[in-house]
Amino acid sequence: MGEFVVHRVRFFDYMPSAIRAMAFNGSMQRLAVARGDGAVEIFNFADNYFQEKVIPGRSDRAIEALCWVRGRLFSAGLSGEIIEYDLEKLRPRYSVEAYGGPIWTISCNSQETLLGVGCEDGTVKMFEILEEGIQFQRNLDRQKGRIISLSWHPSGAQIAAGMIDMIRIFDAETGHATHRLLVERGLGTTRNTEVVVWSVAFLSNDTVISGDSAGKVQIWDAVTGTLIRSHLITKWDVLGLSVSQDESSVIAGTSEGTVVQFQALASTMGQENNQWVRTRTFKNHTHDVRALVHTDTAVVSGGMDTQLVVRPLLDKVEKNTKESALRKILFPHKSLVCCAKKAGLLLFQFPDHLELWRLGESSAKGQAGDRLPVMKNPEKLLQLQNKGEDHICCSAVSPCGSWVAFSTVSSVRLYKLQLSNGNISIKKVSKLPKELHSVHQLCFSSDSSRLFASSAQASVVVASLDQLQCKHLHTLKPKSGSSQPIHLLSASENGNWLAAAHTDGQIHVFNLHKLKLHCTLPVYSSCPTAIAIHPTTGHLLSAHADQQIFEFSLKLKEYTAWSRSLQREGLHPLWLQRDTPITHIAFNRNKPAHVFLHDAFMFCIIDQSLPLPQARKKLYNQMDLKTISPQKRIQESHAFKICKMFQHLLSVDLLDDSSLVVVERPLADIVSQLPPPVRQKKFAT
Amino acid sequence: MKPRERSHVDDFTTLGIMVKSKRGTTTASSKKSADTEKTSETLCQGLESSDDDAPEEVTFGDSKNEALRSLKLALDSAKREKELLKEKRRKRQELFQEQKKRKLLPAEVLEEIESASLKKVKESSAAEEDEAEETKSLMKRREKKRAEKHTRNLEGNYTVTTMKGGAAVSFQQKSAEDFLQSRLYGPGRLRTTNNQMLSLQNKRGSQKSAAVQFVKKDWALQQKAKAEKLKKRWIHKLQVPS
Repeated sequence: MGEFVVHRVRFFDYMPSAIRAMAFNGSMQRLAVARGDGAVEIFNFADNYFQEKVIPGRSDRAIEALCWVRGRLFSAGLSGEIIEYDLEKLRPRYSVEAYGGPIWTISCNSQETLLGVGCEDGTVKMFEILEEGIQFQRNLDRQKGRIISLSWHPSGAQIAAGMIDMIRIFDAETGHATHRLLVERGLGTTRNTEVVVWSVAFLSNDTVISGDSAGKVQIWDAVTGTLIRSHLITKWDVLGLSVSQDESSVIAGTSEGTVVQFQALASTMGQENNQWVRTRTFKNHTHDVRALVHTDTAVVSGGMDTQLVVRPLLDKVEKNTKESALRKILFPHKSLVCCAKKAGLLLFQFPDHLELWRLGESSAKGQAGDRLPVMKNPEKLLQLQNKGEDHICCSAVSPCGSWVAFSTVSSVRLYKLQLSNGNISIKKVSKLPKELHSVHQLCFSSDSSRLFASSAQASVVVASLDQLQCKHLHTLKPKSGSSQPIHLLSASENGNWLAAAHTDGQIHVFNLHKLKLHCTLPVYSSCPTAIAIHPTTGHLLSAHADQQIFEFSLKLKEYTAWSRSLQREGLHPLWLQRDTPITHIAFNRNKPAHVFLHDAFMFCIIDQSLPLPQARKKLYNQMDLKTISPQKRIQESHAFKICKMFQHLLSVDLLDDSSLVVVERPLADIVSQLPPPVRQKKFAT
Repeated sequence: MKPRERSHVDDFTTLGIMVKSKRGTTTASSKKSADTEKTSETLCQGLESSDDDAPEEVTFGDSKNEALRSLKLALDSAKREKELLKEKRRKRQELFQEQKKRKLLPAEVLEEIESASLKKVKESSAAEEDEAEETKSLMKRREKKRAEKHTRNLEGNYTVTTMKGGAAVSFQQKSAEDFLQSRLYGPGRLRTTNNQMLSLQNKRGSQKSAAVQFVKKDWALQQKAKAEKLKKRWIHKLQVPS
């Protein structure tokens, strides 16, 4: 198989941001997740929970709530603005100031005509949803104290608002408050502190369900304004509630990290009067659960521990299928690490800065499995701080290590680096072509003479780089009218081809000499997660969110024989069961048949010259192969060589000197930097 | 004001008792305050020593004069005290004013600064005549500054300022964030540390391993440094007596 010197990199202090809000669009099967740094991520639940789009954050945009209106996404936050996002340009389309102080919640009525927001100053403001924007309509009766949560009655005639110490029910027509439901404070010492109603839900049978800071989930009758039932589920706060589409089940997320399910069940068989009964408790988080979504088949939760957890409800899905498995999404589905293969540099992307590191060196030689002494420690060469409030959405370093580029939603910055025996000098390229202003993906050609940037309307800007100059050469546009953003770019090593993948699954290949579209790959139903062009054969390899792998010959414009045989024989079931997408593909120039792939839990070398694994054979057989005799080893070995030695991978790449760079991020490192969890007494500790 | 009044009253009470005692009454034991007790004691002693003598004759006029004089004395002393206090206050006031003056720059320096700024204006006007370009850039800079402040001057003493980017918005946002922080992580929220949580997980897990703070080198650096120091001290202590 071959042995490699491995740079085991653990100095990328990547820290994901806490999940603050979520919203699910059932018709599109898209989940929007808002993070603490203001970023909004869109996950496609129909396509293996793939993170399709990321709208970069902004340091002052503290999002508190998200709301889908048909296919449009709105957010509101403590900055007091309502923002609608442009999901094609991946940036805010516009923002409307609500003039009510910080906004705690946003909610749309089921007719999708009005947007209600709850403000710090005690007003519920109504915004009319128009085609081109939103317009302020009116205020409901102003209350004392902030409006923390809102929920519309499905008929759209009433709104319930969770406040401090009470819930108000408003008539949406007149704007007057019709009921005041007083929420009891906690017992003991918490009796003196006000209780905050973090979340309310208004059901169609005039039932209001509330979750509050005293740890109660309460069920109220909105007609009479009386308390029907109270469930104390935690000593801490109930931070979120979510109701299923058919209103038969409610889930509540707590500070303990548990999610508690309540179901409306008849107390005796065959009777109509249903009661809310606590049924299940899920504990998938170590920290507070801040956001919850109840889809038809699963409970989706996220919180301060930054993980997105999809927990299928086992009575709604078939057993022992892919849908019935628990999913944890820990890392972004795109690479935050860029490797300069020739210079041995690594570029790490953080929301507000970039770090450039030089890899360590070792002259020692050892057996497989040995730990080599480091002669020269890895060195942090550069920290590039981004100016302004906008966060960095993409970055790249050229293979020779002399150019660094990054982009925010509003601007692109390009720097020329000069590394000469220990000294580093950096110069900003001041005049960039005006076509480079809002890009989603950056990529350098292998000889560092071209910069490719994916721009608006699915076009690719080609710019030439020369001694502190950057000139616009051409804008490549696909023929079809796709306007979905390009999320992957890959240039071939010989400088002939450039491949670009769109979030709707299209892959276009451009000829860089003619500056024309060469071909479009057949669209596969699942979104590509990584693409790369082979340096010698010129095949385009693509990995998809459903774990399929395709190889397409650019010369013949058809799938290669290997790809066809792979489709015919099918991938190994264990391979298809993996739950993290492949985020990077690399090739070994010395061994053209080898392809390097990795996801968060393993890296794999596919040897295309070997037979594919049979479904009944063992997929992870590296340990077995070591122990058996060489003759048998040849018989037993198959194309997929999988290594799980390195865990929680952010990047795997092959340098030009045939050494492997593995960027790890152990989860304990992330946990150690999280905000404090609640203190729980465990028996016998 | 209050303590002074009280002292005033005290004076008067003692005075009254004195008057009573001088009148030669046999009952002189009103034990209201320490001072009066003392005087009455001495009085009793005096009475005892001249037990067999007839009481000294004191005319009514004398005693009246005496009483009046002492009253006057007391009044005088009160007045003096008042004046002293006034003086004290005045001095204090002066001190404050001086301090204020000291905080400001001396008048000469201020004058100098004023003249310097005038000069600069003159210079810039001279430059304007010489180089048109520079003034343009200056103007631009000024305009930029104005644009940054989100203000516009109208005729008269009115300015219009947009709310955006103002302090009010960020202040409100800050207070809202503080509310959230205090509700989730404030006092009485029963929080622990991540280290505790991890060690608990380790304890309850099927595979036991060393605590995270020992496995990870960059954890609990301060405590480790302290422990190292204590260890050195302890070794030193062990070595010294032997």
